[in-house]
Amino acid sequence: MTIIEDRPGSGPSTDATGTEVHQERLMAMVPGPRPRSWVKFITSTDHKQIGLNYMVTAFIGFLVAGLMAEAMRTQLIVPNNHFVTLEVYNQLVTMHGTIMLFVVLGPFAFGLANYIVPLQIGAPDMAFPRFNNLSYWLYLSGFLIMLGGFLTNNGAADFGWFGYAPLTDMVHSPGPGADMWILGIALTGFSGIFTAINLITTVFCLRAPGMVMFRMPIFTWNMLVTLFLVLLAFPVLTSAFALLWSDRHLTTHFFEANGGGQPLLWQNMFWFFGHPEVYIIALPYFGVVTEVIATMSKKPVFGYKGMIGATLGIGALSMGVWAHHMYTTGAVMLPFFAAMSLLIAVPTGIKFFNWIGTMFKGVITLNTAMLFSVGFLGIFLFGGITGVVLAQPPLDFQLHMTYFVVAHFHYVVMALIFGVFSAIYYWFPKFTGRMLDERLGKLSFALLFIGVNLTFFPQHDLGLRGMSRRIATYDGNLGYNFENLLSSLGAYITGLGVIPTIINVWKSLRTGAIAGDNPWDGQTLEWATSSPPPDHNFESLPPIRSERPLWDATHPDELTRAGH
Amino acid sequence: MKREWHTTVGAGIFLGLACALYWFLSYEDSGTVMLLFGAAAYLMLGGFIYLQWRRRARLPRPEDKEDGTYEETAGEPIAFFPTASIWPAGIGLAATFIAIALIWGTWYWVPALALLFGSIIGFAVEAEAPDDVPADLEQAAHRQDSTIEPKQIAH
Repeated sequence: MTIIEDRPGSGPSTDATGTEVHQERLMAMVPGPRPRSWVKFITSTDHKQIGLNYMVTAFIGFLVAGLMAEAMRTQLIVPNNHFVTLEVYNQLVTMHGTIMLFVVLGPFAFGLANYIVPLQIGAPDMAFPRFNNLSYWLYLSGFLIMLGGFLTNNGAADFGWFGYAPLTDMVHSPGPGADMWILGIALTGFSGIFTAINLITTVFCLRAPGMVMFRMPIFTWNMLVTLFLVLLAFPVLTSAFALLWSDRHLTTHFFEANGGGQPLLWQNMFWFFGHPEVYIIALPYFGVVTEVIATMSKKPVFGYKGMIGATLGIGALSMGVWAHHMYTTGAVMLPFFAAMSLLIAVPTGIKFFNWIGTMFKGVITLNTAMLFSVGFLGIFLFGGITGVVLAQPPLDFQLHMTYFVVAHFHYVVMALIFGVFSAIYYWFPKFTGRMLDERLGKLSFALLFIGVNLTFFPQHDLGLRGMSRRIATYDGNLGYNFENLLSSLGAYITGLGVIPTIINVWKSLRTGAIAGDNPWDGQTLEWATSSPPPDHNFESLPPIRSERPLWDATHPDELTRAGH
Repeated sequence: MKREWHTTVGAGIFLGLACALYWFLSYEDSGTVMLLFGAAAYLMLGGFIYLQWRRRARLPRPEDKEDGTYEETAGEPIAFFPTASIWPAGIGLAATFIAIALIWGTWYWVPALALLFGSIIGFAVEAEAPDDVPADLEQAAHRQDSTIEPKQIAH
């Protein structure tokens, strides 16, 4: 499956405008039989089908891990509760984190990128279509294996999602649940590496003529940087898991102090993966929000090149901050990691400035997708600010392993969940050809926004009062009762907030208003084709002369300034 | 392709510098090694793209030109895009069996390896694209003898 590059000097065809030549080229494809019905779910190499598979699987993962979260909040709603046993609580903590990180946020973005990136750069498919299908199967297999831990005698893995040594060794975690956790994550890791290779090749080699790197939409740029990070981080994770595996089964001692090993090595390796992972799950949704805000404000992205520079800056800096999770080990270089962590706030601030600049003086349509994006800004800002607090070693020594940390990163990841919902509401018309219902969408947004803030805001104070994270229960006389009650009620409201969107998708698939090709008056190429797009995506393409080619084609009186 | 190799080589150089800085600040082994390998990975990728660029006599492709047009790309196939394939799912299933074999042992290796090698062979054999693009596309369009038909974008 080599890519045969377009060689220069080949005889040009007839048309001066170019569009019809392209049409002719694509129409001359050999129409091989496409698989239909349920078979296409298994065998299709179409990037759109694989992208949808990813997104649906990730959303199911979101519901599963969300139910685990509801169970944990029910356990914590009153002091000394016995809703679940202590062992099950530990398993829920571990699997909730693992699934949300490895199965939901990352892969949803990979699925979205699978669907959207080839459309945005005018490509007919991904560079390696069957490899793409293989990535999905490895991902699904990994998800099912790690979830299968609940069916074993000792239950699923129960040492927290970052599995610190020596909790993970055979003495402390003897059951197969831990092994299933290791292998499940390793498989999703391979899936991520394959997706990264595939998508980077697609972006580098399959762009449409005129789509130079600095005309690619911000979502595509962010996915490119994300997958650069995947290539750096995931192999480290997979090799760390191979070492852990051999510690457990082949009697090596990489992470066991008693055999001359180094438990701290695990933390270094895990967080060398783990912190870029935070940006691997965040950058795609930064891209989503940029697209939504630009389209709904009917303006080009403010500071387009600054936005790309900020993305590259976040990506580069994120490789040098891993040990800010390890301040309290006393074995890391505090000034280096504190400086790098604080520096990351700068490109993130540039992004916020540009998002607001994009909205400034725009003609804003405040529909559900835009509401979720604006909600993302508020919630992510809060999570980012507490991140700056935690990046300072003296404060981190005080707050490490308290609920303050839980509140911090849940503000961050719930903002990303808002990005997921924004993407669903924004691109659903492209996926299905039908619009989602706005009233149900806004209800969903309102419930989620209230629920998320009610759940996680009180946890900051709980952390400051000293409630440590991961405890399955607490005494009634410690002053934690009221805020835990609030937090649990918030979790129920958040759970309720997901239901309108599910009903909405279910209903709109059948009875939603017909969307047409370009319901939002979009700017980028995915709106230039039909909804859903045909096989190999485009019947014809507008000429690409700026970073929003479709806008230039549909609004010839308002051309995008060159080099904007 | 200039921007491509600039980006990737730039990432490699940044990681190399970060590696040096980190080593001389902390003398800590594991992080230095990981940064070093990251730098090597990106220099390798960037170097490969650089060589491809040189092989093209540093000429921009149509997608690298601000004023690239569709007719510049006419006449050449873009890539080989297969329509459908069962083998990736086969390899995925094999991976599941391998995982189970690693946990519960011995006999699961038999179906796991059989499925793995079978699927890889199927995958490889299927990937053999036709030697030349069929001259008569009409004829190829009506060839329905196989459910797995390689799809070729061509002039």
